[in-house]
Amino acid sequence: MTPAEIVTVMLLVAGCFFFLAGTLGLLRFPDLFCRLHALTKADNLGLGLIALGMAVHIASPWAALKILFIWLFTLMASSTSCYLIAKFQRGRAPKPSEASAE
Amino acid sequence: MEAFFITVCLFLLLNICLGLVRVWRGPTVADRLLTTQLFGTTGMAVLIILAGYLGELTLLNVAITFNVLAILLVICLVQVWKSGAKGGEA
Amino acid sequence: MSVWIDSLLAVLAVFLAVRCLLAPTLPQCVFLFFAFGLALALAWARLGAVDVAIAEAAIAAGFLGVLLIDALRDFAAPRTHGETAQKPHFLTQVLLGAGLVVFLYVALEAVWNVPDGGGLTALAADNLPRSGVDHPVTAVLLNYRSYDTWLEVGVVLMALLALFATGGKELFRRPVVGAVDPLLRQVILFFTPVLFLVGAFLLYLGKTEPGGAFQAAVLWGAAGILLHLGGWPVFAAMPRWTRQVLLTAGFGFFLLLGFIFMSGGSALFEYPVAYAGVLILIVETLAALSIAAALTAIFAYFNGMKAASVENEIPDPS
Repeated sequence: MTPAEIVTVMLLVAGCFFFLAGTLGLLRFPDLFCRLHALTKADNLGLGLIALGMAVHIASPWAALKILFIWLFTLMASSTSCYLIAKFQRGRAPKPSEASAE
Repeated sequence: MEAFFITVCLFLLLNICLGLVRVWRGPTVADRLLTTQLFGTTGMAVLIILAGYLGELTLLNVAITFNVLAILLVICLVQVWKSGAKGGEA
Repeated sequence: MSVWIDSLLAVLAVFLAVRCLLAPTLPQCVFLFFAFGLALALAWARLGAVDVAIAEAAIAAGFLGVLLIDALRDFAAPRTHGETAQKPHFLTQVLLGAGLVVFLYVALEAVWNVPDGGGLTALAADNLPRSGVDHPVTAVLLNYRSYDTWLEVGVVLMALLALFATGGKELFRRPVVGAVDPLLRQVILFFTPVLFLVGAFLLYLGKTEPGGAFQAAVLWGAAGILLHLGGWPVFAAMPRWTRQVLLTAGFGFFLLLGFIFMSGGSALFEYPVAYAGVLILIVETLAALSIAAALTAIFAYFNGMKAASVENEIPDPS
């Protein structure tokens, strides 16, 4: 394997780990506010690592630019949407602790 | 290398399957929406990997389309559900 | 090896479709439908139909998602499908089943009997230099079969007219809830131009690569919807004549072009080869603008309709 391939493999495996962590967190955490935490890990790091790995693999500047934009927009969208959802849920549920009752 | 990419794609798709449990159980609309956001991100990752592995760079445009629209549903939920009709699920 | 991805996607799509139909509550149904859209988009990408994948991504994740979430609020009370619905009549079930079997048979027959040469593929590829564009899908949509595309633009307009007919057009005037949160304002103001630019990019890309008017239209429509949600009802705020021109521009220009060239002796929607490229680009841009305006209007309409009914039935606490 070439050095570039090794880098790609490592980055993709690390990205997969964060996606798995995000999904498990989404399933196992007790309430919405904890789950937000799990989601941002998958969005920011999981996608970021996979995007970086594939940018190394594709090795085309135009594609790398597109992938970079995908990641930047996702960073922006996911952090903002987590804030918005948390605020939205605060407004609906009386207290965060009560929202945990399933 | 090819087998590795396919394994990663399969792994991410199985992640989506796992996440369906949260869509099914809820309990709130916000939980379900959050899971859909994660699906979107996972789908983007799968598309990026497919684009690299198949050499089909137009697939990146599909990922961009998902990407720029991801925020729309959240803003819609937040703004549309802001007032009135509080009788629904929490 | 890649057959595993394909099998997983096929099973996932069918599973999600069945689950979505049989879901006991509406929120489950709606959000499973989003997952179904994602699975379909990935499946189209795997099948090599990137145009359809982009369209599916834009429509399922964007426009339909917004409409369904908007509708969900009206029906969010925890009632189930089965409570009030009566058990369907025996004869209905038999007829539905028989119809489904016939439909499946016809679909399988059509797939099975695709001609060896791929039907018209060779003919379409041969005439590509004369069509004015380099991407075969765009050539089919905007040149060979532009009659279909013209009517599709009309269908979107028709949907909006049907909405006007059911509830009047005054609902546009209703005030929308503004975005008071500064972060929300900023993110809307950031993503609106991004959506517009990506839409324009896809529209222009349609000449050579997968992309085109419908995908661009959904993204532009999403920009309009985003502004509407943020408290800037762009479409409703326009003067009446601007709205009318915007809504009918795509359909009208298409038709006008058809008439002009038909009066010159060619067939309906047959473009002169020398100008085909630029004409297709103009038609696509106008069609995308019209569809985007119609989608924004449809959303604004539903949003306004809901606000009206909520005001009448449930007094707002604030």
